[in-house]
Amino acid sequence: MIDFTFTEEQEMFRKASREFAENKVALFVPEMEKTGKTPPELVKALAEAEMLAITIPEEYGGLGLGFVARMIALEEISRISVATAMMLQVFALGIDPIVRFGTEAQKKEYLPKLATGERLASVAVTEPTGGSDPTGGRTIYSKDGDCYIITGRKCFITNAHIADTLTVVAKDENNPKAFSAFLLEKGMDGFKATHEEHKVGMKGCNTGELSLDKCRVSSDRLLGEEGKGLRVSMTAIGDVGRGGMVGCALGLQTACLESAVKFAGERILYGKPISNLQTIQNKLADMKIDLEAGRLLAYRAAAMQDRGERSSNEYAVAKYFTTEAAQKAAKMAADIHGGYGCMEEYPVTRYLRDSFVLGPSAGTSDIMKVIISRWVLG
Amino acid sequence: MNIVVCVKAVPDPKQISKIRIDPATKTLTRSDAPLVMNLLDRHALEAALELKEACGGSVSVISMGPPAAGSVVKECMALGADRGILMSDRAFGGADAFATAFTLSRGIEKAGPFDLVICGMASSDGATEWVGPQVAVFLNIPAVTMVRKIENRQSSEWIVIADWQNGYRRVQVRLPALFTVTRELNRPKALSFSGIIKARKKVIEQWGLDAIEASEEMVGARGSPTIVSEISPVEKRRNVEMLSGNAEEKADKLVSRLAEAGIIQ
Amino acid sequence: MSKDFGPVWVIAEQAGFEVEIVSLQLLGKARELADELGVACEAVLLGRGLEGAARKLTAAGADRVYLADDPALEFYQPDIYRDIICSLARENRPEIILTGSTFMGRELAPIVAACLGTGLTAHCTGLRNDKNKNLEQQVPAYGGLMSIICPEKRPQMATVPRGVFKTPEPDSGRKEAIIHVPVPETSDTRVRTLEVVRESSPGIQIEDAQVIIAGGAGACSPEGWGIISDLARTMGAALACTRPVVDEGWAPLDAMVGQSGKMVSPEVYLAVGISGEQQHMIGITGAKLMIAINNDPASPVFQQVDLGVVEDCREFLPLLISKIRAHRHEKSS
Repeated sequence: MIDFTFTEEQEMFRKASREFAENKVALFVPEMEKTGKTPPELVKALAEAEMLAITIPEEYGGLGLGFVARMIALEEISRISVATAMMLQVFALGIDPIVRFGTEAQKKEYLPKLATGERLASVAVTEPTGGSDPTGGRTIYSKDGDCYIITGRKCFITNAHIADTLTVVAKDENNPKAFSAFLLEKGMDGFKATHEEHKVGMKGCNTGELSLDKCRVSSDRLLGEEGKGLRVSMTAIGDVGRGGMVGCALGLQTACLESAVKFAGERILYGKPISNLQTIQNKLADMKIDLEAGRLLAYRAAAMQDRGERSSNEYAVAKYFTTEAAQKAAKMAADIHGGYGCMEEYPVTRYLRDSFVLGPSAGTSDIMKVIISRWVLG
Repeated sequence: MNIVVCVKAVPDPKQISKIRIDPATKTLTRSDAPLVMNLLDRHALEAALELKEACGGSVSVISMGPPAAGSVVKECMALGADRGILMSDRAFGGADAFATAFTLSRGIEKAGPFDLVICGMASSDGATEWVGPQVAVFLNIPAVTMVRKIENRQSSEWIVIADWQNGYRRVQVRLPALFTVTRELNRPKALSFSGIIKARKKVIEQWGLDAIEASEEMVGARGSPTIVSEISPVEKRRNVEMLSGNAEEKADKLVSRLAEAGIIQ
Repeated sequence: MSKDFGPVWVIAEQAGFEVEIVSLQLLGKARELADELGVACEAVLLGRGLEGAARKLTAAGADRVYLADDPALEFYQPDIYRDIICSLARENRPEIILTGSTFMGRELAPIVAACLGTGLTAHCTGLRNDKNKNLEQQVPAYGGLMSIICPEKRPQMATVPRGVFKTPEPDSGRKEAIIHVPVPETSDTRVRTLEVVRESSPGIQIEDAQVIIAGGAGACSPEGWGIISDLARTMGAALACTRPVVDEGWAPLDAMVGQSGKMVSPEVYLAVGISGEQQHMIGITGAKLMIAINNDPASPVFQQVDLGVVEDCREFLPLLISKIRAHRHEKSS
């Protein structure tokens, strides 16, 4: 347990991810900020860099690298663009239920194409009446012979418009306690993305609504056991979704600290750089402490996940800690920038806006605390 | 084609300002600037990989450095090199360009028959540009420095374009030969995850003095014709007059000084 | 002449019917070193149509000039040049060989050094005989100066960029002594320069400019660089830069002043957004008036200039430009 160093191979993954982020992803950021749209070329670049294949097993065309490698990639990409990291993390979120609960036929059908980026994935659980509490959802399904008919509405779904393959959770119309998960594809009758959100941050990461209107699905689209749909989706969200947020948060924390250090080293007050002032040093130290702590929490949980252990509690702690820390870091970085911290041409203002969106994604901080208290209380 | 690429692990140029001369002891204070692949060597490796793809064959990477330089050799293998050799030995330490070139040439000879040796034209630390041409002398092969394009490789006599004053020269060269290359030659492909995975099976060969045909006097500090006799920090050179006042006033003062110096007419 | 020491040599380089300026500058220095050692100062020149060049070399300080003049040598031919120089060196055993850090020198010098089994120092910014009569070769490194010597092997070799040493006043009284060196058969060379092609006209060589404005990383952006260019244009000055500016792609490599760039000695050098790193400042071998504009009062550049202004160049330069224009307007009315 005690060796906290990364292996030589993991350091190379980090180097490759950082190079990719700095050389390719960075080019898209201005466009994403301006239009709020996901550039198709960016998705293509992610696919070419094999980012989509990280958590897909080798036998289905993936790299089979696991969640520590995924965390490293997310961290490095988020440092340059939180929006891109968010999009990428949700691709993996959509892939996970298929890997874990898919039949052999389903895995063979979907995973290879998800690995190459020919298809893109997402997960749709959240609804207006059920986000923090997914059991409040009102999307229902009924059975008709060998098929299911689904009607309802999902909201705040990341990659809603760009994803082709989505794991959608719906409630049995006859049994409010039974949920099932279905593997749906865009183009199916009665299933489409509708409203697109304009978020204050993570611009360029597509978030939107899905509408299901008597969408008829064959039984081979059932993912996992009938009635066990929450288990299918919440496992994914609990481990993979929260882990993804942690990667996004860590990258943002790093970006905030780096920009604060740079500015503090250049800005002269009283004849010296402000990094000489204790109040500034306090903030930098706080950011550094949170980053060090956050990284340990993150990689501890990811390592457990790679060993096949349940890690949702550890991820809840990491998710709470890092997303809260990222919001603090963004504020501190903006403060250090003084008046420039309000000017759009300075990246630190984007960090502020991106940090807000970290909080409620994959479970709010309040919900994280409920989960953690359950862990404590047993 | 068998191609050998000479690679150097250098302190990260982005953190080079951390290495400074201590005025009291007149030695270098080395910091933890991590070792990375010399940027130009990445272009050299890319050239080798492209030739391998076009002509078939193999790419070997060789580097002389401390054990930590192994990570750079590993990275080269993750980028696609088939073989990685790290020449590392206490005896190799303190080498100047001559001893470095000699040691590398012995390693290249040991590695087996080759058609081409490629080096980056200079390293970001040191930057003598000597090692490439001197390796060629020790291997008794022709050298062309600052190659920016390979124009024709139809026969055993290649035509290449090399940087020259205000332009370039066109050079005909017979293989086996050595090229040093510039950034213009190519755009290196990115380090990829699957490349890193493939490199798991590849092993770095580590060679010390006993592995090559050389004695201790021929390598390292002992084999270096040049030595550093002194390092000194540069003394403050001029007595500065700082112009005072607000921006307007300073601009006015500066203009009048420039006029005095006769350079604003 | 001392029996213990061989002559001081310069491997000179042809530039059309002339000689490269760096070769003349090195001869001036070689003359000095030779006089100190009590030995001859000689030049080696290979090429085609060299009579006029040989005269220039003599006037610059060469007691003797070895000439290999042949149509086959119209361009630099690596194998032949190497063979001629090495065989001359083995025969005449020079103490020191100096070469310009030109494209030719940077390839030929290490090849000759390796063939002769001797040491070589690159891009020297200073040369002198030390108390043991070894050639002390100075190169900038890590914010300071490194002194390198080659205590045992001979010849001691160094390459030097143009602009480090002054171009000597020609001494037309010096007696010319030319030795014609036979050129060996060229058919079996393994590497051959087929042609040399010029791509760009040199423009104002910054090495020759009287007034230089140099911009550094503090320019921060292509727009910032544009403002510095405006200032250079307003002042009719040559525009130079530091390494980070070249790496960012805002200026070409031949505008770079510094250790691995050009050496300059203008009347006035105005450094904008430059921190004063040694690798750059070493490129300014002599300037009458040095000025720095930088937003950081603690910047090392302020210890190396005559006049300092602490201001953000993005705001100050436009102000300066308008003041210069106003000054001109006033003068003309």
